Amino acid sequence: MSTSEEINALLVTRFGTDPGAIRPEVPLRQLRLDSLALEELRLLIEDRMDVDLEDVVLSSRDTLGQLVAAVRSKAGA
Amino acid sequence: MTPPGPGAHRPGAAPFAAAVTGIGLVTAAGTGADAAWRGACGTGAAPSVHHLDELAGLPCDFMYTVTDTDPRGVLGVGALRLMDRFSQLAVIAAREAVADAGLDPTVWDSGRVAVVIGSAHGGLPFYDEQHTTLAERGARRVSPKLAPLTVVNGAASSVAMDLGVHGPSLAVSTACSSGTVAIGTAHQMLRAGACDVVVAGGAESVRSRLLIASACQMRAVSTRRDDPLAACRPFDTHRDGFVVGEGAGLLVLERPEHARARGATVRAHVAGYGASSDAYSAVAPDPGGLGIERALRTALADAGVGAAEVGHVNAHGTSTVANDLIEATMLRRVLGEHPLVTSTKAMTGHTLGAAGGIETALTVLALRHQLVPPTGNLDAPDPAIPVDVVSKEARRGAFDCAVKTSLGFGGHNAALVLTRA
Repeated sequence: MSTSEEINALLVTRFGTDPGAIRPEVPLRQLRLDSLALEELRLLIEDRMDVDLEDVVLSSRDTLGQLVAAVRSKAGA
Repeated sequence: MTPPGPGAHRPGAAPFAAAVTGIGLVTAAGTGADAAWRGACGTGAAPSVHHLDELAGLPCDFMYTVTDTDPRGVLGVGALRLMDRFSQLAVIAAREAVADAGLDPTVWDSGRVAVVIGSAHGGLPFYDEQHTTLAERGARRVSPKLAPLTVVNGAASSVAMDLGVHGPSLAVSTACSSGTVAIGTAHQMLRAGACDVVVAGGAESVRSRLLIASACQMRAVSTRRDDPLAACRPFDTHRDGFVVGEGAGLLVLERPEHARARGATVRAHVAGYGASSDAYSAVAPDPGGLGIERALRTALADAGVGAAEVGHVNAHGTSTVANDLIEATMLRRVLGEHPLVTSTKAMTGHTLGAAGGIETALTVLALRHQLVPPTGNLDAPDPAIPVDVVSKEARRGAFDCAVKTSLGFGGHNAALVLTRA
């Protein structure tokens, strides 16, 4: 699975996100990911993809595409 | 301590009977008020009490669990992730209670609706799980959700969010009397005019190796591992401790004029409430039963009801040697010999902070059906128990008034007087 597919799957299965609402340009808050949800998502991505996101700043104002890019950059580091 | 005398604690407030218009039950005896009532009366499915893998090796390795409803399917994964199991069970019960009351949360005056839910331990299982994570995987793997999922008010806030309640919402935590105190608190809030409608009761799920291990160390729980279904046996000669259960029991209570104005069906009334503190022990009840006597006498005085009028008692009846004798002796002293007494814990388990909510709901149903559920597993009644305990099968009665008593660790006693609609 690609990085975006992994994250999309987590959103659907762990946060109940509507698959139809998942698009790269959508701000995370529009997917109902508040600050607590983002921290929960950070842990889930780290566990699932074996990456360290501790120094990645997450904000609900960021888009899903920005999140995927940040994870990709860490996965490739 | 001065012994509580008859009528010695009559409150100054005018009598007030809150209308019970809705019931929601999620128990090991059944989910939904109808199924739980049949389970309590011994005419439904057998209670769900099983050995659990996470309790393996403990002297008590079994619990009453809710197995006939799936919170994931009912609530959805998005809502589920922000609730530990006690909150999930509370939301399921609250939805049933509100629907049963014929209330529509999309149109009600949400600022005049309140939630009061009791729980002794809140989200202890998640706490237990996360402590294990900390110990085994380190601080960076601990969930950020520990506080919101484990706080005792999690059930109340989850129900408020689910139903769109904008009036006061709060948790009550007085150990095993929490559910009863929550309903009593709701009664007082309605009487004071703080709201028109309250969703009130208790919720608990302590499926936690940590807690059950400690309860075993305390020697408070039954160790009848060879026969879990027969382990909880209130008022029986061979009782050896309680058996923990999970569940939720919630009522919709309303100011009587509010219920009348909307033409609601009133199931019963909460007519009186009394509470007291033993100031005696962290775990043991006052051996003379004076604390629970004070709570009961206060509740009777609050309702303006005499002992002779009480036809049924749903007792705390935990199946511990001390509680059952002390409580039954107190009931005989205060109410006399005539009330039909039961403990429904052999059907539901001891649901701790939920017990008062579940058992008050069953008392409402007993008033409606004029039927007292049996005390399960009462094969050899303890001859020292001086009250008429209903056993084997449900017994018909004719009563307009019933009592629910609860005692909690720390000496938190509570009693409710309910009257027939």
